[in-house]
Amino acid sequence: MNNEQTAALMQPIPRHAIASEKLNLWYGTFQALYDVDLRIREGLITSMIGPSGCGKSTFLRSVNRINERLGYVRIEGSIHVMNENIYDPQVELVQVRKQVGMVFQRPNPLPISIRDNILFSHRLHAKGGGEVAQGTPDEIVEQSLRQVLLWDQVKDRLKRKATELSLEEQQKLCIARLLPVKPKVLLMDEPCSALDPKGTEAVEELLWELRGQYTILIVTHNMAQARRASEECVFMLMGRVVEHGRTEEMFVTPVHPETADYIEGRYG
Amino acid sequence: MNTANPALFQASDLNRHNESVQRRYRLLFGLMTLLLITPVLLILGTLVAKGGGAISWEFLFSAPTDGMRTGGIFPALLGTVWLVTVALLLSVPIGIFAAIYLSEYAGDNWFTRIINLAIINLAGVPSIVHALFGLGAFVIFFKFGTSILAASLTLAVMTMPVVIVATRESLQAVPQAFREACWNMGATRWQTIRRVVLPNSLTGILTGVILEVSRTAGETAPIMFTGAVFFTPFLPQSVFDQTMALSLHLFVTATQVPGIEEHVPFGVALVLIGLVLTMNSVSIAFRMWLRGKKKW
Repeated sequence: MNNEQTAALMQPIPRHAIASEKLNLWYGTFQALYDVDLRIREGLITSMIGPSGCGKSTFLRSVNRINERLGYVRIEGSIHVMNENIYDPQVELVQVRKQVGMVFQRPNPLPISIRDNILFSHRLHAKGGGEVAQGTPDEIVEQSLRQVLLWDQVKDRLKRKATELSLEEQQKLCIARLLPVKPKVLLMDEPCSALDPKGTEAVEELLWELRGQYTILIVTHNMAQARRASEECVFMLMGRVVEHGRTEEMFVTPVHPETADYIEGRYG
Repeated sequence: MNTANPALFQASDLNRHNESVQRRYRLLFGLMTLLLITPVLLILGTLVAKGGGAISWEFLFSAPTDGMRTGGIFPALLGTVWLVTVALLLSVPIGIFAAIYLSEYAGDNWFTRIINLAIINLAGVPSIVHALFGLGAFVIFFKFGTSILAASLTLAVMTMPVVIVATRESLQAVPQAFREACWNMGATRWQTIRRVVLPNSLTGILTGVILEVSRTAGETAPIMFTGAVFFTPFLPQSVFDQTMALSLHLFVTATQVPGIEEHVPFGVALVLIGLVLTMNSVSIAFRMWLRGKKKW
């Protein structure tokens, strides 16, 4: 990133939902991230692109600390979410996971009813600290499903098993079930790769609906999707951030030759 | 960095409560695991303490004398090895082949469902019933007499359902996508089974077999009527001979011989367990070697 770009990103008085500093990450002896300094602006949709193995998913999974379960992961540097270091020993992991929701590549609704899927996290957190949606369970279900544009399709079958839904509906449900606990950040790891073009379009439409209320960080292999559905874009290569800028600028006038090559499909 | 949301990632009272609940459950599960291995350690400890003194070269490799009170247990040890080997030679191939048929070839219809139901029920039949069946079928009807063959056949019938169920389950754990990939490259069913399904389910099949080794070696009732005798001065020469067996010998020395020293039955039990553990360790080592080669 050059200085002008950085300066452009910094205006006007940006708030960063996610800020990593000198983040290095190893899987065993393999280093997956090198000195990653990323500032993800609050309320925007930021996409991460780059060839497989470039570290974009690894970065994503570090933001809600789900990588740690693997055991052989070592991390140096820091990640701040809403100005707080999530790797601070004082931090409660459960709260990190609550504040930073994650959507996976394959929709993974729990094998319970649609309604119970939505209320699952709310029931876990309703009586504890932190913000959660207010209202009766029915209101919360309706509100969450409306936000993901799913309400009209499923309102008559809320008691049915969530696994009976189509993949597109399942993925929307997986997004909806994060909302009742009012997360600050939504992480999405290729959320559309299991969906057909129509499903992809529907999920992208929903991302625009959620824009502004949540900071969304989305990993994608689909260049067109990054271009359509994000406001800022991060290009990573071999564990390093090569370029980070406004999507429209990056796709029209990329600064680095590697970015240009990747975007135009010369490798990947 | 200024702290705009001082309480964002702070543990709430609920978080702390949940964490202490989950710690208590972990403690409970850990204690139960400890409880589980306690009897194993106690049994082994008791056997070694009370029977260890009986173990000697002579005890292992000579025949009993003075109405089992002195001498060794070699005929029983050899007899158990015979019985287990012959029983497994009969039940493992039949069981595995039948399981392959049921899992890979048979369609899901009422007939296979009845067969599956029968297998599960057969696994639940008490061993004494198997003993009477073996007596009627192999000893009397097929005229094998009380012999290793009749006893091993009885043991084989008893262990086969478990072999079938274990095999079928590990066959079905092989992802269907692997089979489809094979078929789509023009492999026949058998080529698919031989090259992909079996290599990837072998460890699970072996687990079933290992379990059955212990059970076969330890069962007393099925062999009591069909091939094992309290005492015989002869070592078995073929599968048509009668034989002594460790499990029955343990029963005899523990209950039927007055004035026997305590360390004899404990010694027999220790040898029986040692034999089973040795056979199991070998197969477990083999299984680990196989698993090390498996890459998914």
